Amino acid sequence: MADTATTGVAAAAQTNEPLIRVEGLRKSFGSLEVLKGIDLSVNPGEVVTIIGASGSGKSTFLRCLNLLETPDAGHIWFHGQDLTAERCNINKLREDIGMVFQGFNLFSNMDVLDNCTLAPVTLKKMSKTEAEKVAMEHLTSVGLEKFAHAAVGRLSGGQKQRVAIARALCMNPQIMLFDEPTSALDPEIVGEVLEVMRKLAADGMTMVVVTHEMAFARTVSDRVVFMDQGVVLEDAAPAELFGNPKHQRTREFLSRYLEDK
Amino acid sequence: MKAINRLASFIKADHRYVYLGTSAIAALGLAFSQRNPTPLSFLAPTGVFQDCLWAILWAWIVVSAAALVTKLMHWNDYRQKSPFASERCRRGARLGSYVVVAIAAIFFIDRCVMSFIDLVQVSIVSDSNPSDFLSSLVYMTYKSGDFFIRGIEITIALATFGTAIAFFLALLFVFLRIQTFDRVDNDLVRFFKSIGRGFTTVYSTIVRGTPMMVQGLLIYYAGFTVLRGMGFETAQANQIWSTFTAGLVTISLNSTAYMMEVLRGGIESIDPGQAEAARSLGLSQWQAMRKVVFPQGIKNAIPALTNELIINIKDSSVLSVIGVFDLMYATTTVAGVYYRQMEVYCVALVVYLILTLVASRLLEAFGKKLGAEAPATLPSSN
Repeated sequence: MADTATTGVAAAAQTNEPLIRVEGLRKSFGSLEVLKGIDLSVNPGEVVTIIGASGSGKSTFLRCLNLLETPDAGHIWFHGQDLTAERCNINKLREDIGMVFQGFNLFSNMDVLDNCTLAPVTLKKMSKTEAEKVAMEHLTSVGLEKFAHAAVGRLSGGQKQRVAIARALCMNPQIMLFDEPTSALDPEIVGEVLEVMRKLAADGMTMVVVTHEMAFARTVSDRVVFMDQGVVLEDAAPAELFGNPKHQRTREFLSRYLEDK
Repeated sequence: MKAINRLASFIKADHRYVYLGTSAIAALGLAFSQRNPTPLSFLAPTGVFQDCLWAILWAWIVVSAAALVTKLMHWNDYRQKSPFASERCRRGARLGSYVVVAIAAIFFIDRCVMSFIDLVQVSIVSDSNPSDFLSSLVYMTYKSGDFFIRGIEITIALATFGTAIAFFLALLFVFLRIQTFDRVDNDLVRFFKSIGRGFTTVYSTIVRGTPMMVQGLLIYYAGFTVLRGMGFETAQANQIWSTFTAGLVTISLNSTAYMMEVLRGGIESIDPGQAEAARSLGLSQWQAMRKVVFPQGIKNAIPALTNELIINIKDSSVLSVIGVFDLMYATTTVAGVYYRQMEVYCVALVVYLILTLVASRLLEAFGKKLGAEAPATLPSSN
């Protein structure tokens, strides 16, 4: 895992350009404008956390990064390739962009191991045994090697999310997108998922995380982005954003959050 | 079987209604004994023995009546006062009830089963169609047995082959039906997807919006006309485009539309997150469909899909209008030959019921094997 991350970093570092660069991203659902021109870049090896109130467009923005939502305007460059271009083969690029969903979305017609090997076998033309070996490594790293042949339905929420992370890692991605990975979990088992993510960040994986876990944002991320009503209001190092927010809206959000806690 | 078990436990339980329940059975036995014995009766020649049995049944009813009277007299302290409530008496009553049920069963076999066997024996050697309902039914079923058997075979063939063909067509059609444009699709792909979706939508609307009888007639005569137009003689055309072929085509095409909608329902009930997760890993739309969404959707649809076979067993009957020699056609033919309708349509009714019940049992077992939930009841017709 560490190897893959470093090669990704090395490749991007050579071209001396951010892994993902977003410019003027806009997206509307009907008459509702969700994203009103987002600019953001993510450097290799960086962990960027996106926070903000519900409905501020964080999830939509994240889903635009691998084109699960098609943006209306703007550009997304991944490794210097424009995802929004007409001729872009998004299926190929998605192999390098791992994604973890709020609702886990494990394939319920397969067991844990098959969940992990489906994409490598189908897309990377790996042999089944080879893919299973890789999958077992990743399952071990999330602590679920014993559940390799378990049915998906029998896992707990935290286990499901860890399998989902392992599944994404099996494709050897250069960046991982996390869409509120702990929001559907009981408070008690949030920790086990965050632990896996911390380890991933420490190994140098480039990550974009949409989350409400402020402690995670504060301690793990290199940058924190505060989104409000479809725009990026603030983009700063965690110490600065949490310690000395510039905008009134950011202060309100953070104070309300700390009160709730 | 369940009913028999329940009856057995009712009788076995040292129940105060044991008198009441067994009295009803005794009365039934007495009623059977009043029927005229047939030559096959094995009780009638025994004379005195039969009278003894008859007397036992009466005795039971009398004892029960006495029990009822004491019950009414000792309404509140029945358990303590009544002689019938004593342990010994209750054991006796239970044994007695077994005897009564056995005697009633003997009378039933002697008078009802044996007389039916007698009726069958007499009817099938009869020279002319007997006038009474049951004899006539047996006579016509026996004499036209070949017709019925051929009809049943054709009905089963139409339903099973039709459903099987329809299933594969429906798989193909539903694939066309649920296509959506993907980012990576070029204009040509988009054009074909639109065509496929449009075609299957129109197909489903027309087929499900018109009666299968009309479809059958249309397909039969259309095929026939086309063959004539190609220069075939009538006899040749009839041979190539037989009523069975036309019927099979009709039932397949009809069932395809319904199965397609069933499959579509199954597929659309799958959480869109499943496809999203597959796409996020880099799988194409087609790969995500084939590996993740389709297998789950089809599994969801299995109970409704198997219902299609049962529906087809029943609905193939309308194809008799184009002259397919199915069970319905056979029945109508026999009714025409003897000019007796009620009897033969009763036979058809019972045969259809047996076919659908057997099919639903088999499919239930089959569905369970595939891990789907069993359909609860017989489905309604299309």
